[in-house]
Amino acid sequence: MPERPFSNLMRAIQEGKFVFTGELEPGKSANVQPVVEEALRLKRGGCVAGNVTQNPKADACISSLAASHLIQQRAEFEVVYQLTVRDFNRMALVSEILGAHALGLRNILALTGDHPACGDTPRSMPCYDLDSTHLVRLVREMVDQHSAFGQKLKKKWGAFPELHVGCAGNPNADPLEPEVLKIGRKAGYAEFMQTQVVYDVETAIRFCKAVEKYKIPILMGIFPMKNYPTAKGFDMYVPGVSVPTEVLDAFKEVHKGGYDEATKAKKYDELNVEFFAPLIQELKDKGLVAGIHVMAVQYARVIPMLMERLK
Amino acid sequence: MIISRQKDFEEIKHAIDMYGRKVFVVGCGSCAALCQVGGTEQVKEMVQKLVDAGYEVTGSVVLDEVCDNRIVKKELRKVKDQVDEADAFLTLSCGIGGQSLVVVHAEKPMVQGTDTIFMGMTERIGRWSQKCRACGQCFLNETGGICPITACAKSMLNGPCGGTVDGKCEAHNYEEPCGWIRIYERLKALGKLELFSKYREPLDWSELGRQQKHYVR
Repeated sequence: MPERPFSNLMRAIQEGKFVFTGELEPGKSANVQPVVEEALRLKRGGCVAGNVTQNPKADACISSLAASHLIQQRAEFEVVYQLTVRDFNRMALVSEILGAHALGLRNILALTGDHPACGDTPRSMPCYDLDSTHLVRLVREMVDQHSAFGQKLKKKWGAFPELHVGCAGNPNADPLEPEVLKIGRKAGYAEFMQTQVVYDVETAIRFCKAVEKYKIPILMGIFPMKNYPTAKGFDMYVPGVSVPTEVLDAFKEVHKGGYDEATKAKKYDELNVEFFAPLIQELKDKGLVAGIHVMAVQYARVIPMLMERLK
Repeated sequence: MIISRQKDFEEIKHAIDMYGRKVFVVGCGSCAALCQVGGTEQVKEMVQKLVDAGYEVTGSVVLDEVCDNRIVKKELRKVKDQVDEADAFLTLSCGIGGQSLVVVHAEKPMVQGTDTIFMGMTERIGRWSQKCRACGQCFLNETGGICPITACAKSMLNGPCGGTVDGKCEAHNYEEPCGWIRIYERLKALGKLELFSKYREPLDWSELGRQQKHYVR
């Protein structure tokens, strides 16, 4: 097995640092510069890495591989390359993994991917040749055994892929048991886990305890909300997750309070810190998570505020 | 059972017009009759519609199974003159039936009058649901008799994806149950949850990805 870690993210996790990762969403555009700028904000905000989404919500966007490479190159900021089994068959996945290493990417988050029916090309053929469990195992086979589906990688050319692979987890899953059992199949293969957004610390704790036995470092997902419309939109349109009513009400109060933009922004920041900092603190104190995955898109400025508040 | 639905009449007419105006209509007394596209009644209706639209219907039959080459050969021999007179067949069976006609009567054009949708189960009259995708690697013994290839919109083999909310599936706008939650609940009820946790290798597409044949003799 090759010597680890290969990435800043895994090094920080292994050193026991409490890490923050962010989310970068390249859009339906050939220009990645706005996302590069967001990556710079995440970097300045203290994130160790940023996830680059692949066709999120099944909307066709710029290639995640291309965007990941350009972000890493231009922002000099490490990325977690999100790779879905929705868009590639096993042959193409092997290609992507080799290509990812060649382009300097060192973390992959292995995902199933939202169904094409949910997105803007609903007539696409859903690929799903593999599932996310297969993908996690494929990355490990390529990295640790230098083969893909039993076929040896070209030894004399050297440069075997060195990438860490992570999986997703959903603390809100109800029933939770099948989710836990599914993660169990990735145990021993997945090297980190990033979760769906949680708003409730008890839900987060229950999940962490249920998967503790698998010994996968967890980065718990949170979604600080830039403003009231964002909070409301998230509450209404993200299935399975709801923003607590009191939080939503507090955001609404700021929204309707007649404040100028700067005051509004400051108040939203305060609300987010007041709500999320204790949640993070509790998970940190209990030693249940290795860090936090912040999914606040275009709201990187809140991350250092959250970090500052942590003891 | 193979579920099919009738194509739009304009599309059928357009396809017939490529070959002429004289048609011999072939219905199917098996699956297509049960799903109300190719039985006696539907064939009769189609003949009337064609006549009303100015086509000449040289004859019509409802075969027991159009997908069986032997039946097609034997039964159409009995109406040879009507078949010979037609410019084309119009088939109201599944796509297999249509192709069976092409195999037996290669000399004559065939117009397919239906779209074949899936292999399914009859819930009650007029309601069918897909149950099998013919992957050739049946998992039913491991999944409590619920097919993950069909019941899961992503055909996942190792449990539910993140698109499950309250046991419902994102691909069905959260209105249909998640196949893997159904499998989980069924295995739990059967006391066989260990099967849920079993790791399953990816499907083998080496045969599935190309036209297959199956011979037992």
